[in-house]
Amino acid sequence: MSLYLALILLLPLSGGIFNALLGRHLPRRMGETIACGVIWGAFICAVLAFLRFTGPVTISYASWLAAFDFQAPAALYLDQLSLSLTLMITFVCGLIHLYSVGYMRGEQDVPRYFALLNIFVFAMLVLVLAENLPFLYLGWEGVGFCSYALICFWYTEEKNATAGRKDFIVTRIGDTAFGIAIVWMFHLADSVSITHLNTMGPALPAGTVTALGLLLLIGAAGKSAQLPLSVWLPDAMAGPTPVSAQIHAATMVTAGVYLLARMFPLIGSSPAALAAIAVTGCVTAFYAATCACCQRDLKRILAYSTISQIGYMVLGVGAGALTASTFHLLTHAFFKALLFLGAGCVITALHHQQDIYHMGGLKSRLPAIYWPFLAGALCLAGFPLTSGFFSKDAILGAVLERGGPLYTGLFGLGLLTALLTAFYTFRMVFVVFHGGEENPPFEKGGAGGISPAGAGHHRLPLVMTWTLIPLAILGLVGGMLNLPEYVAGHGTLDIFLEGISGFARHAPAQFSDDIISLVFAVTACLAGLGLAWSRYTGARRNAVLAAEEAGSARSDFFLNGWYLDRLYRLLFISPFVWLGRALWKGVDEAGIDGTLNGLARFTARLGELPAAWSSGRVATSLYGLAGGVCVVLLYVAWLIAG
Amino acid sequence: MIVPLEHIIILAGLLFFLGMGGLLAWRANLIMMLVCIEVMLNAVMLVFVGGSARWGNADGQLFAIFIMALTSAEVSLALAMVVYLHRRKRTVDTDVFSEMKG
Repeated sequence: MSLYLALILLLPLSGGIFNALLGRHLPRRMGETIACGVIWGAFICAVLAFLRFTGPVTISYASWLAAFDFQAPAALYLDQLSLSLTLMITFVCGLIHLYSVGYMRGEQDVPRYFALLNIFVFAMLVLVLAENLPFLYLGWEGVGFCSYALICFWYTEEKNATAGRKDFIVTRIGDTAFGIAIVWMFHLADSVSITHLNTMGPALPAGTVTALGLLLLIGAAGKSAQLPLSVWLPDAMAGPTPVSAQIHAATMVTAGVYLLARMFPLIGSSPAALAAIAVTGCVTAFYAATCACCQRDLKRILAYSTISQIGYMVLGVGAGALTASTFHLLTHAFFKALLFLGAGCVITALHHQQDIYHMGGLKSRLPAIYWPFLAGALCLAGFPLTSGFFSKDAILGAVLERGGPLYTGLFGLGLLTALLTAFYTFRMVFVVFHGGEENPPFEKGGAGGISPAGAGHHRLPLVMTWTLIPLAILGLVGGMLNLPEYVAGHGTLDIFLEGISGFARHAPAQFSDDIISLVFAVTACLAGLGLAWSRYTGARRNAVLAAEEAGSARSDFFLNGWYLDRLYRLLFISPFVWLGRALWKGVDEAGIDGTLNGLARFTARLGELPAAWSSGRVATSLYGLAGGVCVVLLYVAWLIAG
Repeated sequence: MIVPLEHIIILAGLLFFLGMGGLLAWRANLIMMLVCIEVMLNAVMLVFVGGSARWGNADGQLFAIFIMALTSAEVSLALAMVVYLHRRKRTVDTDVFSEMKG
């Protein structure tokens, strides 16, 4: 077990280092093979670890940080939660790596890309497997750095570099809160071991636990793009599409949910913290869903859908339904990776066209992409019997079961979000893939459009379309992982995860709640689907699309994400810029520099006065001598007279 | 003593300030400046000699002879420099030599 865990971590790391150091000097094919091979090697190790898994193990490899009573060894903790996440991460990232080989076919700088992608996986695995918080934080920051470097992978364009910096700075806000929480927890418990801290919950005062929970929530909100720190994720689309897939599906944004689930035994004892978590998640889910309804960039729709789905997971954590959250995390990883990779195929096929209004009728042109993409869309929309349906329903059911006005309200908002989710998902599918190609909704202008003869298609590499198939299958049947109780008694994942503290199954509830939430969820999904169908197919399609393309004040509001960026610019950036300018111009240049320059000028003037005497002429010196003698004589005369 | 010391000192003072005034006024001619310096030195010597006579002490006279030796050395050196300076700029006007300006 110790060997497998070490290999899971070291393989991606060594692949990353190898590509970073030697990748440039070796054939391209070799770097790609190694980058993919190490991830699949890690996946095999994870499978072997899964087969040998008997119970939670802690394995300490070396001392990492040690000073006085502060101990943070390089220790790994493998339990059911981290094991299932490790399996998912290595598998999904392995597929994304394979896909990248096709996607980055025509790009330069592939060694840098694969080195960062490998280290990204390594950092995420460290985050998931770490036994203590500083080690987890190492992975946490590693993920942040790699996402930054990959988002601005095409850094020669100003826009991409700005998006990367925005990601780095916004997540840094959350990281600060998380860092404070770590130090505080060490101060309280004299330990940073997660397993030890999780036993401390009942021993701490309620207020402290709430404060810790809120700090962790801010940290998670930064990484998982929850309100109010969600603004970086839509812009993170500047990176290559496989990077977006990896950030959204497997690695980066799930870190916050994982952290909250991992620390749940500690923070779960505070109802206030849980309510804050649930409200954050639910409001974020709703916010992002409304934004996604009006986006016109294919990848931004998916980005907002990720924010929304992560919001569901956070809501699940807030409702105490950790298994449901983890379930949704796993299924979301499959179908979101699928959707992003499918979107990448579409974008590549259309010469980097991302505007959905310039697409249409792709169903018959790209059937190999349409069907997997449709499968992913069904999962995202929560269509009955897909994996997304079961996992989302599990979360909503748990929220309803929790009862109380707050959680009932959140359930209502969650249902509304489910309706919106189905609507924007199928809006995307119908606009992009449906519609007659002989009747394009808009003039296809520029190099990005499909030429009428259809000759403009790139030939997609086979590896790009083949990677969609396993994800589509997993997305569709992933619900089998954890079927709800009214279908199959106990879900597999329920049984697997129930050993972890905090994950224990709820007391067998009446099925009525589950059935109610099921009926509502199905209705919401079908209503959203029907709404999208009525608007974006058939006779009304062209009129609706023309109206949407023209835009309105309301759709601009949603298109720009409720103007959150503008609000933050007004609230934080502008005052900061103003303060910086005032300090720069007023204090530094006028105040400090001005004083120094004034002093220097004054001293120089003062120096010029006696400098006039050093004319170099003998006469001047002689006058000085004579003057001095006169002064001495006058003084002597004064002495004598006095 | 026939001549009182006060008179000698007044005479010496007059000589000294005449020399100094000449020195300041006659800058156009280096040789005349040297002459004025001689006048000033002689005023000093006069004070030494007067003092020596007043108190019957030979030290003052000794100093006077010492200054004479010093003056002859100084004048020989200074005249050599005057010749050199004249060769450089064809003039002995001190105001022309201002290379020491800092």
